[in-house]
Amino acid sequence: MPEPTAANIPRSQGRRLGLDMAKTQKWIFLTIAIVPPFGGYLLFTLFPNLLSVYYSLLDWDGFTDATFVGLSNFVTAFQDKYVWRALTHNLWFMLTVPFLVVFVSLILAYLITNKSYRENGFLKVLFFFPNVLSTVVVALLWAFIYDGSYGLLNGILGVLGVDTGNFYWLGNERTALAAVIPAWVWGGVGLYVIIFANAMLAIPKSLYEAAVLEGAGHMTRLFRITMPLVMPVVRVGILFLVVGTLKSFEIILILTNGGPFGSTDVIGLYMFNLAFGDEYRNYGYASAIGMILFVILVSAKLITDKLFPNKGVEF
Amino acid sequence: MKEKHTWLDAVWRILLYFWALTIVFPLCWVLYESLKTNPEFYQDIWALPKQLNWQNYADAWTDYGFGKSLLNTLYYVGGTLIVSLFFTTINAYALTRMEFKGRNLIWGLIMLSLFLPGVNALVPQYVVMRELGLTNSIPGLILLSGLGESVFYLMLLGGFMRSLPKELEESAIMDGASLFQKFWRVIVPLSTPGIVTVAVFKFLGYYNNFMGPFIYLSDPEKYPIAVQMYSANKQMEYTADWVTLFAGVAISMVPSIIIYMLFQRLLMEGATMGAVKG
Repeated sequence: MPEPTAANIPRSQGRRLGLDMAKTQKWIFLTIAIVPPFGGYLLFTLFPNLLSVYYSLLDWDGFTDATFVGLSNFVTAFQDKYVWRALTHNLWFMLTVPFLVVFVSLILAYLITNKSYRENGFLKVLFFFPNVLSTVVVALLWAFIYDGSYGLLNGILGVLGVDTGNFYWLGNERTALAAVIPAWVWGGVGLYVIIFANAMLAIPKSLYEAAVLEGAGHMTRLFRITMPLVMPVVRVGILFLVVGTLKSFEIILILTNGGPFGSTDVIGLYMFNLAFGDEYRNYGYASAIGMILFVILVSAKLITDKLFPNKGVEF
Repeated sequence: MKEKHTWLDAVWRILLYFWALTIVFPLCWVLYESLKTNPEFYQDIWALPKQLNWQNYADAWTDYGFGKSLLNTLYYVGGTLIVSLFFTTINAYALTRMEFKGRNLIWGLIMLSLFLPGVNALVPQYVVMRELGLTNSIPGLILLSGLGESVFYLMLLGGFMRSLPKELEESAIMDGASLFQKFWRVIVPLSTPGIVTVAVFKFLGYYNNFMGPFIYLSDPEKYPIAVQMYSANKQMEYTADWVTLFAGVAISMVPSIIIYMLFQRLLMEGATMGAVKG
């Protein structure tokens, strides 16, 4: 039997062998490329999302046997005054945080892109910096600022001649809720400055030049050219912020953990503490609240889409 | 266009500087307080330190077990970065440049994640992790964070790869390259700018991740820096050791600052890509 060489293998067989090889190769490649990440997604994301529907129908502490209770968790939730209190706080944050972030970012982005100050490049880099910091660091910084005895805010007020008498901003029911907002806005603005600034830079210069030739002033240019053309981007920004404000609670967890006396509790944090807090371990009820949160989030998405319709702008 | 600077410009400029100040000032304050002694700090929060008390940094390092938590962070962030970067890259390639049955279904299911808020599934996700014996283990956390699909990064890398000319792959095949060789020798090198962008974002994301390690790690010996700083702050309520905590916060900011200084342009460009596409 002669050694098979390229020369004495019949051509057709060689091609089929090559094709089979290529097929096997493709199959192995796809298995490596798709199975682990997609499997992880199914296991850690999609499956838990489905499970949460089932869990919401259980009375379960996560360890002992679960009992099926139907919709009773939802009935309890609707009668739970803490749920309503948390939702009120959510509404409050949802109306203030995205509005302030967009407002501040638009002004800063406009100034950076339309005023030829020499330091603008540096400022843009500086403004983004808080977005690079972790929520823990942002929250700790603001906890230092708000501290009653040694905090920066009381220090500044003291220099300005306002005696706060060691007022603890995060420790008082009246001020804690409002005090969370600046921390949240401070940590979020930088990203939107960049996003809006880039959108403004993408507007062709010729549009402004034509407007100037026709005698349009600063304000006309701002409201007739800049704003309409960046609106699609602002719209996406608002959508992101509204949904983000509704679902995130890390910063509140670290700053106040919902306190004092629940005055800063939000729905995500309430759910989190029901499930993982030391006292309750109420997985079924927490999941029911998670379902309610899910419905609210999807509705918020749809409502924001309606309020800020996506009008494609061409230029 | 040459702008005329009017008195209004002064107002605008002050506005810009005011925001800049809100960022620089607290950070500088933390830095210089971190070099004081506690009595100095209690006496006057404004006064500059009489002498630079670097000892606080050494104290923070030992008191908060920074050595240990730095290793944990390295383990968690490094491990997750390797796993997720590899799979995101190969996955983006397969999903955007290869034809196979079920591709559209898989894409559709991945896009579904845009509608899933994530928080509502916190409890079942924890139960899944617990049933698999992956809680209180950094490798478990690496699997959770590293495996999974991220629409943002898939689009970013996929977009990058789609723009590469088909001829490159074809000529590689003519030269007898296997699919794997083609991927490693042609696609990966050409996609490097995109991969680096994704890597920087992922690094910051994992380094700053608080909720994951906080929920899944119960043993303080395994805490990464973010969770370690959170518990250090809790401790502070009893010790009232402010200056050390300030030093700790300063230390924990160092990696973010370095990465930001090195990659700020990449980060700012990448931020827009993701946000506008979503």
